[in-house]
Order: sequence, then structure tokens, then C-alpha cells
Amino acid sequence: MNIGFAARRGLAVLFPVAAFLALGSRVPHFLDLSNLLNVVRQSSITGVCAVGMTFVIVIKGIDLSLGGLLAFCPMISGVLMLAGINVPASMAAGVLAGTAMGLFNGLMVSKLTVPAFITTLVVGQISQGLALTINGGSSIGAFPDSFVFIGNGAVGGIPLSDLLLLGFLALGFFIQRLTPLGNHIYALGGNETVLRQEGLSAARLQFFVFGFSGFCAAVAGLLLSAQLDTVQPTQGDAYQLDAIAACIIGGVDLAGGRGSVPMAVIGALIIGCLRNVLDLLGIHPFMQNVFIGSIIVVIVYLSGVVHRQSELATRGTL
Amino acid sequence: MLEPLVSMRGVTKFIYGGDGRPLRNTDVKILEDVDFDLFPGEVHVLVGENGAGKSTLMRILGGIIPPDRGELKIAGARVNLADARDAREKGVAFIHQELNLCANLDVAHNIFLGREPRRRGLKDAGEMYRRSAELLKALSADLDPRLPVARLSTAQQQLVEIAKAMSFRSRVVIMDEPTASLTKREIDVLFDLIRRMRAEGIGIVYISHRFEEILTIGDRFTVLRDGRLVGTRPIQSFEPSSVIWMMAGRSIDEMYPRTHAVEPEPVLELRGLRLAAHTPPIDLVVRRGEVVGLGGLVGSGRTELAKSVFGARRFHGGEVRYLGRKTNGWSPARLIRAGMAYLSEDRKTEGLIPPMSIRENLSLASLRSVAKLGFLSRDKEERQAAKLIQQLSIAARSSEQLVSTLSGGNQQKCVLGKWLCTAPRLLMLDEPTRGIDVGAKAQIHKLIDQIAGAGVGILMISSELPELIGISDRVYVMREGGVAAELEAGPELTQERVVACMV
Amino acid sequence: MSAPVTENVQSGGQGEGGEPSVQAAAAGKGRAWIASGGLLNLVGRNVALFIFLALVILASLFVENFAALDNAEVILKQSAIPAIAVIGMTMVLMTGGIDLSLGYVVGLASIVSGIMANTWFWPAPAVLASILVLGLALGLCNGLITQFMRVPAFIATLGTGYVLYGLAQIVSQGSIINRLPRNFLAIGRTPMFGLPSAVFLALAVAVVFHVLISRTIFGRRLKAFGFGARAAALSGVPAAWINVSVYAFCSTLAALSGLLFTVRVNAAQPNMGGGAFTFEVVTAAIVGGTSLFGGVGSVANSILGVLSIKIIENCINLLGVSYHLYLAVQGAIILLAIILGNLTNRRA
Repeated sequence: MNIGFAARRGLAVLFPVAAFLALGSRVPHFLDLSNLLNVVRQSSITGVCAVGMTFVIVIKGIDLSLGGLLAFCPMISGVLMLAGINVPASMAAGVLAGTAMGLFNGLMVSKLTVPAFITTLVVGQISQGLALTINGGSSIGAFPDSFVFIGNGAVGGIPLSDLLLLGFLALGFFIQRLTPLGNHIYALGGNETVLRQEGLSAARLQFFVFGFSGFCAAVAGLLLSAQLDTVQPTQGDAYQLDAIAACIIGGVDLAGGRGSVPMAVIGALIIGCLRNVLDLLGIHPFMQNVFIGSIIVVIVYLSGVVHRQSELATRGTL
Repeated sequence: MLEPLVSMRGVTKFIYGGDGRPLRNTDVKILEDVDFDLFPGEVHVLVGENGAGKSTLMRILGGIIPPDRGELKIAGARVNLADARDAREKGVAFIHQELNLCANLDVAHNIFLGREPRRRGLKDAGEMYRRSAELLKALSADLDPRLPVARLSTAQQQLVEIAKAMSFRSRVVIMDEPTASLTKREIDVLFDLIRRMRAEGIGIVYISHRFEEILTIGDRFTVLRDGRLVGTRPIQSFEPSSVIWMMAGRSIDEMYPRTHAVEPEPVLELRGLRLAAHTPPIDLVVRRGEVVGLGGLVGSGRTELAKSVFGARRFHGGEVRYLGRKTNGWSPARLIRAGMAYLSEDRKTEGLIPPMSIRENLSLASLRSVAKLGFLSRDKEERQAAKLIQQLSIAARSSEQLVSTLSGGNQQKCVLGKWLCTAPRLLMLDEPTRGIDVGAKAQIHKLIDQIAGAGVGILMISSELPELIGISDRVYVMREGGVAAELEAGPELTQERVVACMV
Repeated sequence: MSAPVTENVQSGGQGEGGEPSVQAAAAGKGRAWIASGGLLNLVGRNVALFIFLALVILASLFVENFAALDNAEVILKQSAIPAIAVIGMTMVLMTGGIDLSLGYVVGLASIVSGIMANTWFWPAPAVLASILVLGLALGLCNGLITQFMRVPAFIATLGTGYVLYGLAQIVSQGSIINRLPRNFLAIGRTPMFGLPSAVFLALAVAVVFHVLISRTIFGRRLKAFGFGARAAALSGVPAAWINVSVYAFCSTLAALSGLLFTVRVNAAQPNMGGGAFTFEVVTAAIVGGTSLFGGVGSVANSILGVLSIKIIENCINLLGVSYHLYLAVQGAIILLAIILGNLTNRRA
């Protein structure tokens, strides 16, 4: 259903990017196994964020609070861990905090009709500010081994980060394809009037979607800090752009209603590869941002063109 | 004697004022004391002009709006429908003119939206596809339930909606102009389907203005006029001229002012204008000092024509000649500067800017005339506003009042005032007296006469036949994107004649 | 709101709402004021002023050292540059859009001005003119992308913002330029009546734009477009021009802000401004009563918004509260302002 359609559109976009990657294979060390595994490991953060972001974009919203949450949630967990609280509880606290912020976003969007971009921007700012406040602006680190293992360990030869990404991919796919909730979410993005006519509540769906996005951001943030064994208050900035780019490259339509989680995750992997290749070529991270920023604008424009041509037919002779 | 599926008695619906409350003390109501029945296994056709009340009556049956008076019985039991869903649960399905589907989902997911079958807590897609296929097969529709709805033709989408209705085991199906954009073959398929539904005992309400179709598929027909029931008859007594008389045969009591004289010089000429790729070419002329009426049913292309002339809509061929110059592709701003004006039928979103004041709304299309070197002259603006308020008898305490606080009639006068400030040579009016009180209507009629008397060419779109006939010097009747007839004022310009050309 | 129906009816007959009788004329004026949405309007139009006055009063009473002349001077000096930027953002918000690249334009303008002044030895007027042209060009890009490519404003400006951020970093090659030439610094630092010239520059810009928005055809069209784009378009308002020009103005003013920031701290750096500054400017505009949906906005009120924000910041400093916490508080402020705005503004 949605995969078939999104796949076809995603493919049209992925092709030039794939071509670029083919060229990238000429870059030294890119195809080394260790490098590729590293790419996947780093992409897992963007990937987990993209899972949550997909549903947000499908319901015609956007989540700009990722940057702040990616710092705020691990900061909470980190402080608790360093204070001696056991790892699972600390992590749970961080995840709860992120989910709560996400639910707050949902509240603002559904009940107070504040546009998503402003409310998530603000919540992101608030989270970022709190992340900075909690430790006076400096980073914390040296976490218990069990925590660090999540970011850097492997099970059966496969890095835990990758497994976590796969897990979230499965979760997202599950919601999208295997639950009635998934159908309702896409219906909300497609035609809200019809959704309401069926007696379904748009508000509840918005709550869930934003809450889920906050949940994903929280987990991603914890994963990031586990990988780095540190929480830097500004660590989330880079991933904000990448998560949105991942969804857009993966064919998630900003106009709403179309896009699939697996494709968004693939988009995240592509972004990861892109960054990796550019890194190996010695291109400055900020120049990479230029590149990615331009891609977003171009893709949105192209998808707008395609979208207008395939609109639902209206009745009447004119 | 069969028990009717649906029985509506004495249904009345008031007009609602700008403050959201019903106006009970006027003579004009949207529906007044209408009775309507539907028996199992019949196709009951509902006929009437624009504004006759057919859609409103069906929206009441469909649970979308409540009646103000009267009772509704479904399957013999009295009901008060809470909303559309409630109506559906009680067996009434409404197939609207505008499609009610999610384009991004496939057929099955549209049909079962909100009641997806489950298996062990998960969505059972297999069951969805299986049941959808069954429903579609029962309608003889050759559709794969996995197809995204966006890929389907209009006729196919309509079948999906019908399948959805059937999945609720509806006994009553309301169809609002279902054949509006279907090909001949698709119409045949639809009619086969309707016959089969009828054979199963389903009752169908069929709203349409196409007489040949009505004769083919209908069992009984009801004619509404101005919100009142004119009559319900068996299809055997359906005779076009008598039906037209039922639809439009009203006495014209009012005298419309006519002091203007038509001059020969053309202000607007349309040569071979095509509103869409497949509609016939239109030739039309409006002269100086002439009031040209444009009649036709909703959807026949009247507004589209006006907007095409005004540069607000793309058209597909032909020429627009304004004051002797070809103006194809000119923007509204350019045309306004050249003296063209268009008063839209949707005054709240296209005619006025509700949060702005009367003064600001009045000057909006002619800012240059109240400004010097780009700077607005508050003084000039206020004087202009005061003058217009007085000339048009706009009931407001000050020109600073927000237009959102004005009544419909006064709002319309504001919009008219805005266009008068542009010193127009061609004034196009789209339903200028819709939704306003009798007194304001009379004033606007008088104004139209005066404006024409000043040498302005006027093109007036109206669904109110007495007004159209009373004011116009000539009337073009539109039908399905083209002009069906041109009628001169005089003995041949009667309501029945106009309606006959419309359908 | 409609007066009771009486016999003396100008529009004839009974219809939607009657007309006032002669007896009601006495109460007519008051009712007229209310009928024109007067009360709500008064509050809605002057929220910024109320907030500002409330803050001044509260701060004077409860915060030590606030009500001092040199403190007021500090606040004025800190408000000057954001005031310039908020004017542009207000215009963009009035069209229902947003410019998320504002902070990044500031950064780019900062480093470019430093290079022009220090590395290329351009005279100050040339630097000023070039920076304004740079801002104009960047703004035109934003405007053209939003208007003609139909990309939603927040995505378009987010994208261009990132691009500009990257560009600024590249142009600066990672370094900051200090010790800028004196005639360059004179642009914003020349003392006039005891305050740096930047303050008066801001005042001048404010006056110019206030007149532009409230008294010219352009301003009226801007307002109409923001309130009702469709009705405006059908009344001959050229939507495309308006939309593009507000983004052009916004980035031009942002570039000017960047230059003035550089002058103020005597350092040209690519990180100047940034997302935090964009956020601050948006907060100020919204506290100043600008509506996110378009139409409502004024230069004077937005500047009051800037002053209000700076007063809060000042108090935070005086009270010794962590600046990082203030960032979080700023977010709460903007949320409150939005909710309040939704309740009291004029949009029908």
C-alpha cells in the first residue's frame, strides 16, 4: 500500500544519490567493512529519530525539537547515573522526559492549534536550555560500563546500535502496517475531514504521533551518549537536520499522507553514507550542511511538482 | 401497503443570520414544511433549481444538519440524528458530490477506515482485502482493493464510496448528482448497479437535473421550489414542460427598476472561450450600459467564466476582448487598473477582509486614488468612505467598524462600494444578492440600474430567476461549460424558458 | 451585537439584524466602540505596551538595581540591534510566513563585513552598502523559493539557513577577525547624546519602517495580504511582490544587524547570531503581539517586545539566575505569548 507508492517515489530520488555513492566507492577506505559498520552505527541515531519523524511528517507536521531532546534526555539520565541511580532506571527517566516533551508538543498542536513548527521549535529551545542549565553548560561523562556497552558493544558480532535501529525500524513498520492506528495516522495526513466523519479523533492521533517522536528522540539521544560516553549539551544540533533530510530523501511527503518508515531509515543510512564519504574526502562538516540543506529544498520542490500532478480528481465537468 | 423506509414530515429549516442564530421571523426559509417519503426498492428523484432546498433536505436526512421543525422517521421509528455517523448507523448512506475518500490510502483501507478488522489485536489486512473484494464484486466493479484511490477514475472512486456505503448495510442511499462527470458507459454501469440495489429492497434518493436520466432510472419524483414542496408524482407523469413549470412557475410580483439605456459599443467580447479542454466554445457580448444576466445551474460554469475573464482562472482557448483589446493572460491587478471589476460570490473569503475596517476594505482595490506618491492620505480615505457609506446606505456607526460586524446585506454593499471606487467600465457580479435581506436586495437592484445608467457594462450571475429576468436586458443560459441559449428581454424571457435551457 | 429591530429600518424589511433606532443613538457611540471590537481591539492592539509597562513596574519594585539610569542605558543599548532585526521578522510574520535563516544571515554578514573591513581595507560606507546588498540578495532567494517554488516558508528558510551557516564557516576558515578599523567601528559606536550611534540608527530604521507599514500603499497591501490572501489577490494586490519583498527586507535588516553586532563587540565571527538569535527575535515579535497567522503586527509593538525581552534578560542577570535557564524560560514566554495572542487578536 504505502510502501509500494513511497518506494516508487523514493527510488526516483534515491537514484542520483545512489549514483553519487557509487562514485564514492572510489573514495579510499569507504568500502572497508570497519568503515561501513561504523557508518551504520552512526546512522542509527539519525535512523531512530527518522522513525518518529516519519509519522509526524505524514500528519503534515514537523518536529524541530529533536536537537534539544537529543541533549536533554541523556543529560537527565546521565546526571542520575552519576548520582548512583541504576542504569535502567536512569534511562527510563530520560526516555520518560523525552516522551513527555513530545506529548506536550501534541497538546499544543491539537488543543491549542499552535502550528507544529513553532511549538516544536520552542520545546526544542526549552529542552536545550534545560540541558545547558542542568550541568551549568558543561558536559558530563564517564558513565557505567553497562551503559557504554549499549553504544559500543556488539551481540553476536552485530553492534548493539544497529540492533537497536533494526528494532525501531520494526516497531515503526509494525505501527504503520500492522495496526489500525497506522491506517488512522495516514488517513489524518490524507483527508482529515473523512477521518472525523468516521468518528476518529484527530487530537488523539496527534498526541500519539508527537509523543512517539519524542520517545524516539529520547532513545536516540541516549544511544548517542552511550556511543560517545559523554553528554554534550549541544550534541543534538547536527542530527536535527539529518533526521528531516533522511525522511525527505526516503520519500516522506511534506504535504502529508505519504511515506514509509523503512524508506526513511534507508534515507538515514544514505545520509550517513553521504556524510561519511564527505568526511573521507576531507570536506568540512559545515560544507556538508550546505549540501544537505540544498538537497532538502530541491527535493521538497520536486515532490511538490509531482504531487500537484497526481491530485485526487474532482467531480464536475469543469 | 409497504412501510416507508424514510418518512419526513413538516421539515422546516430557517435561514441563519450572521450571528449564528436562526431567523424565525422572516418569510424566507431554506425549507418550509416539506414532506418526503422513500419506499424500499424505489428510486425517488429529487428535482429543483439552485437554492430550492434539495441539498438541505438530504443533509437533514443524512444527519449532517438538524431540522428546525418537523419529524424524521427511519424504518417507522422516530429519530433525532446526532451526526452523519449516527445516520449511517441507522442505515442512511450519503454519496456526496465531492468525494469523501483519502487519496493516499488504498481502496480497502478507505472502506474500512475506523473499523479495520482485527486478528489477535493486529490489523487483519488479508480480511480487509477479502471483504473489499466481495463488496466490489457484489457491485460488479472490477477493482483491485489494493489500488491506491488516487489512481482511480472518478467513476471508480464513486464505486468505492458506494461499496463503503453497502458495507454498512445501508437501506437508504442518497446520491447527489452522481453522473456529473461520468462518461455514457460509466453512467450505464452506475444505473445497472442502482437497479440491482433497488431489487434488493434498498431505497435510493437521486438528486439530478438531467431529465433523460431521471426518466431512465426514476420511479417517483419530487419537485421543490424555494424551499417548499411543489409535488410528488410517479415517473409516468414526468413531462418536461410541466416539470419545468413546477420548478420555476412563480409569479413575479416585484417590479425591477429599469432606467438605463443600452449603448451599442461592446465593453466585453468573448470569442470561442473554452473554460476547459472539453467544453464548447463560448461567444458572449456585454455592451455599455447593458445588464447581461448569466444563468445556469451550479456547476454549469458561470463563476468559472467570470473568473476566467478576470484573470483569476486559466482557461483553455479563445479570446477575451475588453474595451476592444485582447486581454488574455492579464492579471487581475492589471484588469482592475483598466476598469474591470469582479464581485465574487463568496464574500467572506474573496470579497472582503473581515478583520479590517470598512474604510480599509472600501479602498483596497483603488489604493492609488487615495494616496499621493505611495503615501496613503487618511483624510481622503475617510472622506471616500463616508461618501460611500451614505450613498449606499451602509448601516454602520463609523467607517472604522470592522466589516465582520456588519450584516450580510451591508457587507455586500461594502464589496460593491469597493468596486465602485475603481471607476469600473465592466462590473461582473456573482450572486450579488445571495444571503441578504429583502430591503438590501432592493437597494442593490436599484444601484445596478444606476450603475448601468452611467454607462457601465454589467454581467450578473444569479440563481434567482425573478431577479435575473427582471433586471437583465439579455440573458445567457449556461449548461455544462457552454452557453446553451441567449435570450432577449421580452416575452420569450420567462422562468420556464430559462430552466428549460439550463437542464 | 445587532440592535433590536425597530420600525425605522433603513435597509427595509426584517433581515439579518436590524438597524439602530434614534433612541439608541446616545448609547450608540459606546456600542459603536464595542461593535467595532473595541474592547478586545484595545487590549489586542496594545498587549505589547501593557506587558512592557507591567514588566517595568514589577522589575522596579522587586529587582534590586533595576530602576537605575545606567541600567536603563544598558537595556537600550542591548535592544538596539535586535530591534532592527525584529522589524524585518515582523513583516515576514505579517504575511503568515517565518524566516528561520535570520540568525544565520547575521553570522554571514558579520564575518563578511569583517573581511571587507580588515582584509580588503574597504572604506566603511562601502562595507555598509555591500552588506545591505548581500542581505537583500539572500532575502530575495528566500522570497523567490517560498513564493515560486511553493516550498513552505519554514522549510525553505530552514534549508537556506543551514546553507548560510555552512557558508559563513567556510568563508571564515574557522577564525575570528578582531581589531577592526576605527572608521568601520564608527558606524555603530559613535557616541551621540551619551548613547552609541547604533541606538539612533535603530530608531531611524524603526521610524522609516513604521511609516512604510502603517502609511503607505505597500503597508496596506501587506496587511491585507496577511489577513486574507485570496480576497487581496482578487482586489488587485500583487501577492508575489509582497511575499518576496518581505523576505528581502528581513534579510537586509538581519545583515545590518550582523554588521552592527560586529561593530559592537569588535569581532567578526561566523557564529554571530545563529539559531538562538532567530529565536529571540521571533519571541520578541510574538510578545509584541504579532500573529503567527498573518495580518497583525506593528513596528512599535514589536520593538516594545524587544524591550520587554531585554528587561527580562536584564532582570535574570541582576538576580543571578543562570543564563541557560533563561533560554528555557524564553521558550515558556513565547508559548504564553502565542496562547495569549490566539485569544485576543483581531483575526475574525
